[in-house]
Amino acid sequence: MTRKLLIALPKGRLLDKSIDLMGKAGITVAPGDGSRLLFIEDQERLFRFVMLKPVDIPVYVESGVIDAGICGSDILRELESDVNEPLDLQIGRCALVVAGPAEKEISYRRNIHVATKYPRTAARFFKGKNAHVHIVKLEGSVEIAPLLGLADVIVDLVETGRTLKENGMKVLEEISPVSAKLIVNRTAMKIKAKQVNNLISQFDRVVYANP
Amino acid sequence: MMKPTIGLPTGYRDVVFDEARSRRTIERQFADVFDKRGFGEISPSGVEYLDVYTRGRQSIKEVTFKFLDRDDNLLALRADFTPAIARVVSSGVLGEEVPYRIWYCGNVFRKADVHRGRFHEFRQIGAELLGANSIERDVEILQVALECMAAAGIKDVHLHLNHAGIFRGIINALPLDPEALRQVKTEIDRKDMRRVAARLQDFGVAPDIQRQVNAICRCVGDRDDLCATREAIDNQEAAAAMDALLELASLLSPFTENIVFDLTEIDEMEYYTGVMFAFFHPKVSTELGKGGRYDALLQEFGRSMPAVGFSFSMDNLVVLS
Repeated sequence: MTRKLLIALPKGRLLDKSIDLMGKAGITVAPGDGSRLLFIEDQERLFRFVMLKPVDIPVYVESGVIDAGICGSDILRELESDVNEPLDLQIGRCALVVAGPAEKEISYRRNIHVATKYPRTAARFFKGKNAHVHIVKLEGSVEIAPLLGLADVIVDLVETGRTLKENGMKVLEEISPVSAKLIVNRTAMKIKAKQVNNLISQFDRVVYANP
Repeated sequence: MMKPTIGLPTGYRDVVFDEARSRRTIERQFADVFDKRGFGEISPSGVEYLDVYTRGRQSIKEVTFKFLDRDDNLLALRADFTPAIARVVSSGVLGEEVPYRIWYCGNVFRKADVHRGRFHEFRQIGAELLGANSIERDVEILQVALECMAAAGIKDVHLHLNHAGIFRGIINALPLDPEALRQVKTEIDRKDMRRVAARLQDFGVAPDIQRQVNAICRCVGDRDDLCATREAIDNQEAAAAMDALLELASLLSPFTENIVFDLTEIDEMEYYTGVMFAFFHPKVSTELGKGGRYDALLQEFGRSMPAVGFSFSMDNLVVLS
């Protein structure tokens, strides 16, 4: 008998969308209100799930203690995680952008300060532009940094652009589109190939169904 | 308050008592197999010119520990055994009579992400067979690896087989510039087949070739799966490589029942030239060991000769023994 696949679900903005998508794929999960259970199962009891902070999911999946998970591509690029990403789930779509004060002209040439939750991604992006910048790593409310003078621009996720606008900022440039991916441990992809491939097709049918 | 003790730098660990004994036992069990099979031990210097490691694989440069000697030569701590052995072989100290059958065991040092619980120092044990290029030698090195694990009492090992010629055949036929090729390889490495197809389409690759790349990237399975993939392939080099794998597997079948044809990994560095293989175990979430044929490396050291070899991570062996 093969062991059930253990799958990590992201707490936060992607959770409802993930559970909804799984429901459509025939995997019914009810996390329950205020449930303190660490592990839950779907109705058919084919999988086990664990709820984790999104940024921790690739760490667990890369190590192999969790077989698969759902995780934003922003996090995967930032952590440079060595995992398989067999399917773009097309949920949680947004963009990683460079944004700055709407009224100001910003030149990357002037050794600017960049505030971001994504220091590696930002460094890679500006290096690609041959711009020498100084990165300031923050954990949240990044858009405040230019207003207070901590940084000249920010690198952050933008969904609608409303927060930026409200703070007198605008998108200067898109770095990359972002969406949630199904990620799978490299070894699990091989030694549990059947189970993993079934899971991928289950999602694939729903995500890429012809309307 | 406790008196502070002298600590150990982050990313390193001590191996004491039981674990040290397990290592010693495994080394002895492996060494018995190597002796019986006519493999001689080499314990190469722990320090090389950095250049020795980067000759075969540029990518190793960023993870090596480097320092300068008194004459300002750029040196590196041992980051891999194979290049060091290639240097020894090319120096001529082993004499003229080929093939050379060599085994080694020792620690290697690579800068690792310690915040993911990894270590900078780990122990490897492995073997190389240099100076002969034939399917019999591929079988021999794989048999030795299987015998080593059997001697250490490790059962239920799965041997995953692949061949560098399969992808090389298909990829070389693609009309892609190096940057486009790099992007395609990245997508293949992530295993998102929809994105691979989209990328190939962007770069104007014919649908028929897209279909072939797709078939290869999905092939993890038994003989029938490989044969089905073989049917889908219209490329001489790739087809010949698959035939070579089938032959290799049939020669190995008396020694293991657990052969998986796994064409899903690509060798991005193009280090391997022939068979590539890896050993997996249901209880371990990374590969136990891996290896393959690397006929092009030795010419980087000025003495061209074919070679095939494998190495195991001691930590994974200890877990299973």
